Amino acid sequence: MNQSKFSVWIRLLWMFLKVNILSPSGPASIGLLYKEAVGKIMTEAQFVEAVGFSNVLPGSEALKLAMFVGFAAGGIPGVFTALLGAILPPTILMMVVASVLQRFQHEGWIDGFVAGMSPAVAALIIVVSWELFRASSRKKIDRRAFIIAGLSAVAFWFDIPSPIVLLGAGVLGVILYGQWSH
Amino acid sequence: MEPLLQLFLIFLKVNLLSTSGPASVGLLYHEVVGKLVTESQFIQAVGLSSVLPGSDALQLAMYIGYAVAGVPGGLVSLAASILPPTVIILGITFVLHRVRREAWVSNFVEGLAPAISVLMIFTAWKIFQKGGATDWRGWAIGIVSLICMALKVPERIVVLIAAIVGIFLFP
Repeated sequence: MNQSKFSVWIRLLWMFLKVNILSPSGPASIGLLYKEAVGKIMTEAQFVEAVGFSNVLPGSEALKLAMFVGFAAGGIPGVFTALLGAILPPTILMMVVASVLQRFQHEGWIDGFVAGMSPAVAALIIVVSWELFRASSRKKIDRRAFIIAGLSAVAFWFDIPSPIVLLGAGVLGVILYGQWSH
Repeated sequence: MEPLLQLFLIFLKVNLLSTSGPASVGLLYHEVVGKLVTESQFIQAVGLSSVLPGSDALQLAMYIGYAVAGVPGGLVSLAASILPPTVIILGITFVLHRVRREAWVSNFVEGLAPAISVLMIFTAWKIFQKGGATDWRGWAIGIVSLICMALKVPERIVVLIAAIVGIFLFP
């Protein structure tokens, strides 16, 4: 009994280490994780539910997905094992890269590196923002999403603090989407 | 305020208000740029976290934490980013069925999404403007990157190439 539990944990840890080394981001890891987990440690329905929940709840997507899969496979200890596997690779990599780059901060080529990267980063953010907006009104082109987007744009224009705008948008979502669906 | 405590509170807040790594960029920008890190450090953080394998959100948090307060800063930011989803998941596995029926939770998130996309567009513009590349070279890199990403070239490759091109274009 203990032996088999232990092997589940090892398997979880190894699986998440692998997924997090091979995939660059949360959404990208879903496909890889699907192949690793579905049919082996959890059912298709459980996996779909896990993806749905990690989209809705606050916090990093990849982590929530890892924890749901961990829970399905090994209960609460499974959650922590999956968490550990998901955290370890990015932590080690980032600490190394950060410490190297901080040392080069005053070298000349860093300025060019950043200057070239910033337009690409801006493009990346726009692409993600578009995907997010499209996902939010996936059923139809939704007037309510445009209303919320428009009001938020006005609010940001007037420098209203972003957490307040986001909370307001959420509350507006509860009001707008609640009324129409009943 | 103590920088470590400040980092902890910022990442706690950002991770409670956003549902995924890339979506947290807009919010994080407002919280840290000009206060804890420079524009240039923030761009490095976003760029590198999309280039390196592993969770974007965590790497972004750690880079910023490291830039502010070294290794302890990186670890504190990591802890603050992990805490909200962990507590929520542990809680939710016990009340899973009840929460699923609460329509207002998903309505709240649906309302959040358009606002976050708008916030990100504002952030993208600011990053572009203050990244120091607003002449033709910057526009060229930006437009080519956008086209490549729309054509589904992996983002990390686009960001990496743009940065290398930058070293030559901006000597």
